Amino acid sequence: MAFADDGRDPLERYSRQMRFPPLGEDGQRKLATSRVTICGCGALGTVLANHLVRAGVGHVRIVDRDFIETHNLQRQILFDETDVAENLPKAEAAARKLRLINSQVQIEAVVTDIDHANILDLVSDADLILDGTDNFETRYLINDAAVKLGKPWIFGGVIGSEGQSMTIRPGITPCLRCVIESSPPPGMTPTCETAGVLGPAVSVIASFEAVEAIKLLAGKLDALNTELIMVDIWNWSFRRLKIAGLKGKVDCPTCVRGEFSWLEGEFGTHTTTLCGRNAVQVAVRRGEPLNFGELAGRLRALGEVKQNAFMLKFSTEGYEFTIFPDGRAIIKGTNDIARARSLYAQFVGN
Amino acid sequence: MSTTAVPIYLDNAATSFPKPEPVYLALDQFARTSLANPGRSGHRMAKEAERTIELARSALNRFFQGESANRWIFTLNCTDALNIAIKGSIQPGDHVITSDLEHNSVSRPLRRLEKDGVITLTRLESSEGYLDADQVRLALTPQTRLVALTHAVNVLGTVQPIEAIAAIVREAGALLLVDAAQSAGVVPINLKSTPIDLLAFPGHKALYGPTGTGVLYVGRRAKLRPWREGGTGGDSKSVLQPEELPFALEGGTPNALGIAGLAAGIEWVTRQGVEQNRLHEVALLQRVVDWVEAEGSGYGWNVAGRWDAASHVGALSLITPNLDDFHPQVISDILDTSFGIAVRSGLHCSPYIHQRIGSFPDGTVRLSPGPFNTEAHIDAFLEALQAISVGIL
Repeated sequence: MAFADDGRDPLERYSRQMRFPPLGEDGQRKLATSRVTICGCGALGTVLANHLVRAGVGHVRIVDRDFIETHNLQRQILFDETDVAENLPKAEAAARKLRLINSQVQIEAVVTDIDHANILDLVSDADLILDGTDNFETRYLINDAAVKLGKPWIFGGVIGSEGQSMTIRPGITPCLRCVIESSPPPGMTPTCETAGVLGPAVSVIASFEAVEAIKLLAGKLDALNTELIMVDIWNWSFRRLKIAGLKGKVDCPTCVRGEFSWLEGEFGTHTTTLCGRNAVQVAVRRGEPLNFGELAGRLRALGEVKQNAFMLKFSTEGYEFTIFPDGRAIIKGTNDIARARSLYAQFVGN
Repeated sequence: MSTTAVPIYLDNAATSFPKPEPVYLALDQFARTSLANPGRSGHRMAKEAERTIELARSALNRFFQGESANRWIFTLNCTDALNIAIKGSIQPGDHVITSDLEHNSVSRPLRRLEKDGVITLTRLESSEGYLDADQVRLALTPQTRLVALTHAVNVLGTVQPIEAIAAIVREAGALLLVDAAQSAGVVPINLKSTPIDLLAFPGHKALYGPTGTGVLYVGRRAKLRPWREGGTGGDSKSVLQPEELPFALEGGTPNALGIAGLAAGIEWVTRQGVEQNRLHEVALLQRVVDWVEAEGSGYGWNVAGRWDAASHVGALSLITPNLDDFHPQVISDILDTSFGIAVRSGLHCSPYIHQRIGSFPDGTVRLSPGPFNTEAHIDAFLEALQAISVGIL
């Protein structure tokens, strides 16, 4: 590496960070030998990766299934118009940019859909898992893997101008399911696609996650956040929910009873490529009746919505969704299962 | 509109459900009392398991009038049986005749052998779901070693003139492999009067066994090379796979439990009478055909293939009015989610026939009633189609 060979102290570039006494040089050295896996490289993921690579975390693995689109540029800070023109996968484009920013960091791009079959491979060698996802299905999967492996992870989620974050250390803090036992069924939650999202809101939450990551990796455990943080940057509210007491108090299916329903593939979506042209069926194992009216209301602003007693049809960006009352959907316009899962998470929500 | 608690199951061509009560009882009893390793050990339970399998072979031989019980091979499923038959009989340079009516379990192994330059292949073109025996006569060459054809088409339910074809193939000296996946148990097959060399079928369709059971009959003229070799429960000192049937083709512990269930299914079908189930299912399908003629065609529904109740099994494909609003997958999803009715849409693993009838690649909506379906089930299906036809637009 050019930088290491020029005779200067490799830690020199982090001098302003090391001069912050609570971190110090010892903290910086620990960062340099740490490994993280960032799950999802969209709005949250790019801010997270940017902070951690600049801060000198030794090995950063970035996992994402999607390709960059123009409407990502408003908030996904590592991408530019050239990346869109080149039709690059997000993980790969982020890695290229980050290598220019800090050649000391080992950056690994993995273009894949995180699922129950591959998550353990993606996170088992990491010291910390970071949430840059846009759906609760993957978050519960991360939570299962983290609890099973006894590995810390940091939850973060943003929608509109609001965001939440918490730091989860299995065995020490409550886990995601202790605090949020279940997510609303598919189609019942707003998503960034339906409710919109502000770039600064993402930056705030991702920055909370990043600073927690730095503390945790540097071994500054006393400084860690023990609350569920809820921020609304538009209405200027900042709430901190005390959750430490939930640890061991709730009969958590995951960290108390040891049920890993997402990791075992029991919960979550199931996809099949269909006979015919360019269509994937996304089926939901935990099917609950959808409220077509609500869903139609959210989708109407984004594309054409048609509805009858049996299904809701929604067309947007060259894709056609046929959504059924139990939450399953046929997505026309792609043969790619990862893309279909992504579209489902973005527009129906899971 | 609400989905019923117990779905109306119209997907018996894939796997029959429910099974007759004696099958459940046999499975339960065998699992509790006799689920040992057949023949591998000399103790009482092993002997009992072995006996169950031997009785099942005898039952198959009686049912289909085969030459002897040891010519009945138990396989993993029909695909396994077809692969054993095709890959075990073919020599480089052979010519093989097949048709566009076949399931991928016949088409894919043959296409692979053709693509690899091992065989030459003639694929006969059907008309409205039927082959004519004369087409086979015209396609036969001196190099033809194998004619591999389905008896009843899984997509359309049409039954082929297998007796006439068998006579022609035998006269030419080639081997005839019949895929009886949709016919075994509902269309009489008499091996004494019909010269079929290789007969393959699953246990889990119209013979009412559980999944994981398949059968291959190996006639005297067929000499198959085994591709799965291993333990056969006897003659262990021999360093090679034994040559005598059924062991030559049955390496590995067989699915004794499944075979016990299959035997009970065969017995049940025998008591019912082979034609009985077919007549019941075809009568149910007649209601669908009548609806299409009277009302469905007005919405754009069509029956795929020629409807001839006398040469039909209990499977029927419907061509949907159009693909934009009535894509087959959308229809089967609506039937499932809004009406609690299970059918199968798509290509049914048989791309060539869909190409032939013009429903490729989106497929058709196939319904396949079984002996436990009633007129009320079919009427519920038709009411659903009516409601969808009116309500979808």
